[in-house]
Amino acid sequence: MMKKFLTISILAGVAFAAGAATAQNDPIAQRKSIMKGVGDATKPVAGMLKGTEPFDNALVQKALATYIDAAKKMPSLFPADSKHGGETTARSNIWDEKPRFDGLFARLGQEAAAAQGAIKDQDSLKPNFGKVLGVCKECHDDYREKKN
Amino acid sequence: MSVGGARVLAWDGPTRVFKWTLVLLVLDGWVSNRFGASLPQWHIWNGYLALTLVVFRVLWGFVGGSTARFSSFVAGPRRALAYLRGAKYLGHNPFGGWMALGLLALVAAQALTGLFSADEDRLIIEGPLAGKVSDATVAFASHRHHLIFAALEVLIVVHIAVNLFYAAFRRDPLVKAMVTGEKPAADYADMRSAAAGSWGRAAVCLAIAAALVFGGITAAGGRLF
Ligand code: HEC
Repeated sequence: MMKKFLTISILAGVAFAAGAATAQNDPIAQRKSIMKGVGDATKPVAGMLKGTEPFDNALVQKALATYIDAAKKMPSLFPADSKHGGETTARSNIWDEKPRFDGLFARLGQEAAAAQGAIKDQDSLKPNFGKVLGVCKECHDDYREKKN
Repeated sequence: MSVGGARVLAWDGPTRVFKWTLVLLVLDGWVSNRFGASLPQWHIWNGYLALTLVVFRVLWGFVGGSTARFSSFVAGPRRALAYLRGAKYLGHNPFGGWMALGLLALVAAQALTGLFSADEDRLIIEGPLAGKVSDATVAFASHRHHLIFAALEVLIVVHIAVNLFYAAFRRDPLVKAMVTGEKPAADYADMRSAAAGSWGRAAVCLAIAAALVFGGITAAGGRLF
């Protein structure tokens, strides 16, 4: 019994370490996971914007901090050899227009930083957070493949 | 052709105002999507208004000015053939009528799919009824919303090209008529002169259309804002 448990633990550990190692030098997995984190942080705020969830500035500030962090890390996660594979939905024109693409991340960081101070309540949430989400859409419209 | 330069009514005021307002809304639909990312309500309200206008136009097609009525311009193949042999129309010719119906149907479909559409992650923009349906339905509607717009673009290009062609080569000033409402008097196959629909009636049609659209969305559990 103990032996079986040990074997499984070791196997699981090895699998986990291997997974972590691939994620680390796998820019596609990394950028997808950062973007997923951005999406997850946005969800509660999207509810606040629709009025289905009460305003909670802590969650808003957390989302903004996540964006600023992502905006710093993302530009380096699109090396030339990561156009395909790993089920990426990044469009190949990113690599033709890398400066504009990176510029959008810079703008995401700037808008998020500006919103950090500007958002205090439900009323200031809509206009200021809207500006940040506008950058997401601008980039996705041009550089992210539509699944559907 | 024109009898002593006499002019007759081709399109009444409400029909013309409707037509050019719809043009502006379709343009604004594109603009608000492209440049209004930070104001999702801009695009959403554009859709409500476009849907209201199309519903108005359907009502107006029964009680509006004579050239605006479906009974006067929805033609079967027989009339289309006669037209090809050289008939001239005051209102929509048979093909023009089909085009008008096609454009109205596409704008309606565009607005209706928009009600259920959202961005992929449902974070940035959501139609008022997207929250009431499954992710798969939202994905389906959003996909159609993109395809229908592409189809609309094609139809609009054809529509504009044909109208310019008529004005330039067939001496039929269709675009001008849709602005001024008048055409030179001639031996038209559909009618010699249009009877105008009243503004009062148009206002009632518009009120009913708005009630149907906004009432319908609210009744279906959608939030307008
Ligand atoms: C400068 C471009 C850019 C900006 C700005 C941007 N994104 Fe993205 N996003 C992408 C690209 C490219 C992908 C696809 C990545 C891939 O599949 O390799 C993506 C993917 C995503 C995904 C899917 C992640 C997954 O699970 O695979 C989500 C969710 C997302 N973005 C949310 C957001 C949100 C929310 C914002 C704004 C706060 C935002 N993005 C801003 C470019 C951007």
